[in-house]
Amino acid sequence: MKSPYLLQISSALLAAPIALLLIAACATILPAIGQFDAWNALWEAPGLLRAVGMTLWTGLASTLLAWWLTAWLLSQAFGRPWWHKLVRSLPPLLATPHAAFAVGLVFLIAPSGWFLRSMSPWLTGYSAPPQIATSQDAYGLGLIAMLVFKEVPFLLWAAATQLQRDDTGARWQREAWAAQTLGYSRQRAFWQVLWPQLSKRLLWPLLAVLAYGLTVVDAALIAGPGSPATLSVRAWQWLQDSDEATNTVGAAAGWLLTALVAASAALLVLQEKFSKHLWLGFNGQRGKDTELRTWSVGRIAWGAVLLLYAAVLLALGVGSVAGIWPFPALLPQSLSWEAWSSVMGSSASVWMTLAIAASSSGIALIWAVAWLELSPPSWDAALRKLLYLPLLLPGVLWVVGIHRLALAGGLTGTWLGVLLAHLLAVLPYTLIALSPAYQGFDARYAHISAALGKSRWTYLSQVKWPLLRTSLWSTAAVGFAVSVAQFLPTLYIGEGRIVTVTTEAVTLSSGGQRSLVAAFAWLQWLLPAMAFALAAWLGKPRRWLNSKA
Amino acid sequence: MKIEVKQLSVGTDSEQRMLLQGFDLTCAPGSITTLMGPSGCGKSSLLAAIAGLPITGLQADIQVELAGKRVEHLPTSQRRIGLLFQDDLLFAHMSVRENLLFAVPPGSKDERTEKVDAALKDLGFEAMADRNPLTLSGGQRARVSLMRTLLAQPQALLLDEPFSKLDVALREQFRQFVFAHVRRLQLPTLLVTHDAADIADGTRVIDWSALVSAHA
Repeated sequence: MKSPYLLQISSALLAAPIALLLIAACATILPAIGQFDAWNALWEAPGLLRAVGMTLWTGLASTLLAWWLTAWLLSQAFGRPWWHKLVRSLPPLLATPHAAFAVGLVFLIAPSGWFLRSMSPWLTGYSAPPQIATSQDAYGLGLIAMLVFKEVPFLLWAAATQLQRDDTGARWQREAWAAQTLGYSRQRAFWQVLWPQLSKRLLWPLLAVLAYGLTVVDAALIAGPGSPATLSVRAWQWLQDSDEATNTVGAAAGWLLTALVAASAALLVLQEKFSKHLWLGFNGQRGKDTELRTWSVGRIAWGAVLLLYAAVLLALGVGSVAGIWPFPALLPQSLSWEAWSSVMGSSASVWMTLAIAASSSGIALIWAVAWLELSPPSWDAALRKLLYLPLLLPGVLWVVGIHRLALAGGLTGTWLGVLLAHLLAVLPYTLIALSPAYQGFDARYAHISAALGKSRWTYLSQVKWPLLRTSLWSTAAVGFAVSVAQFLPTLYIGEGRIVTVTTEAVTLSSGGQRSLVAAFAWLQWLLPAMAFALAAWLGKPRRWLNSKA
Repeated sequence: MKIEVKQLSVGTDSEQRMLLQGFDLTCAPGSITTLMGPSGCGKSSLLAAIAGLPITGLQADIQVELAGKRVEHLPTSQRRIGLLFQDDLLFAHMSVRENLLFAVPPGSKDERTEKVDAALKDLGFEAMADRNPLTLSGGQRARVSLMRTLLAQPQALLLDEPFSKLDVALREQFRQFVFAHVRRLQLPTLLVTHDAADIADGTRVIDWSALVSAHA
């Protein structure tokens, strides 16, 4: 690929279909902005302000808490041996879809859940589930907790992809050491030297977390407050309505959500600017190193997070086989395989999930590698703004756009249509996952390879990709997990004819059959977890027979 | 500064490679001891152990005495041993002035600014104070890095091949710059290098390979 024209043409060929799809999808939803009747109806919708308030409260509180908790855990773990253990423990947590986690969390904290069972009746005095709303609480606390525990692993993982880069992570580590030889404590060295440089690179993942928290539908249906529901849930309900006029109100609500995301993003960026000044206040105070203990507070906190995930998954597992389960008993009286046999009965949804996730993550990975390999940096920066749209736009908005496109193209209810929609959701995460390692790759290998007379293809297939194998496979697993977790695109473009474990789990969650919901939620975790395990196995570093050599 | 290495080894839990055993060294204030050894022999590991940096796999049984006090049980931040690395490690998110200010011990704002201004004047870099350190040349960055180390008022100085990344013409200039400052501040200094041209004081040279073979 010597000719710059060839590079540009191939980049254009890569970028065009995705860009056109996204632009067309946006174009179909833009007219909704101009519909004054819809805006009027939205304004007059009962409880609109309370829905907006609930959205801002849950979205901002969860994002800031997750962000601060991530920073604090990093300050505790970075440069310590248990940081590597933490990174290794991330994949099963990343594999847990929000909806599955929400279902499991509800199982834990619901009035008849494990938390109250374990304390009843000896502590609480309850012999029957109390009539209080501990999940779907009116303050959105359950939703906030769910989002925080789901986003902290994601942000830690995003930080890990930066810290594992040779050109940044290793350098920052030595900068932190330099600060320590100047007399700064480990904690201060982290906050003043490492965090300002790292946090800047976590802006996109942070904005994705913010947008997700403000616009989530599936997990909010399960763990979010009922009245007032968040604006995204209201918008979704309006869009589900059979009445056309109500649909336009939903679209207007989608745009209102977009405005909320934009305003919150601006607020968040300001907050970062401000806090940077706090950290960079060079008053010369060194801080004091506390004694290094094996069991620091941070490590215990991380252990608690892992324990919660284990409890959630266990609750789902036990819940899926629970027969009769009277209240204060810790374990069900009888087991029932009914739920699993009906899952077996509808195994088509499992295969459908696998097929869509494998193909969308595979295509996204190949596309991302080709793009990162070929595209000029300025093109990359420009296209990313467009590609990241599905992360920042509310799902209820861009999915409607894609749905209209699919309708026009006759792709609704087809496998291909759902695949395309998933692809748009998977691509930005694939890029976020792959770019740090791919762009941090030492360019000198290419020069050496070329100097040895090897073709570019030989270099890629025998040097670069094998060296990046771990990142490539884990990127594929991330894409797979993102696809499995997709609810709105599957629901809309699939039109009920394409059913995945996620749509099953969310749709069933409002019904009464707990064991079936649990079984599907558990599957929702199992499929991505298997993908991560496979990726870890395929991407494991080469084993040397003789370690001394 | 008195250093006594009982044992220094590197490796994994199951497999340790001995780097150094039974080695004593005393550095007088203002003197520069040069430790000569080939690349990869473990010189940097020794400096890391003296400064107390947590290098993965490094195991050190070592005593460090500074101004009559034992410091090896202290964390790096409290040892007051300055370390100049091979690369300058100027913080990329701070200007030249901010990098220097970062090192000045706490005090009144005016006093601290004064110290930074004096350092900038000493360097002749007043005009570059507010620049991004990445826009400086390698030689300029090395000088700022030394100044930053000295502004933290260390009681001893470790130099880890600080000249090796500079080109030959700059190297000699920077050497003289470093040695002059070390002598002026009367710092006990340990320099490790593989380049005989770096030797500051011909009477105070230790050959690493002789050390290792003597105890092997």
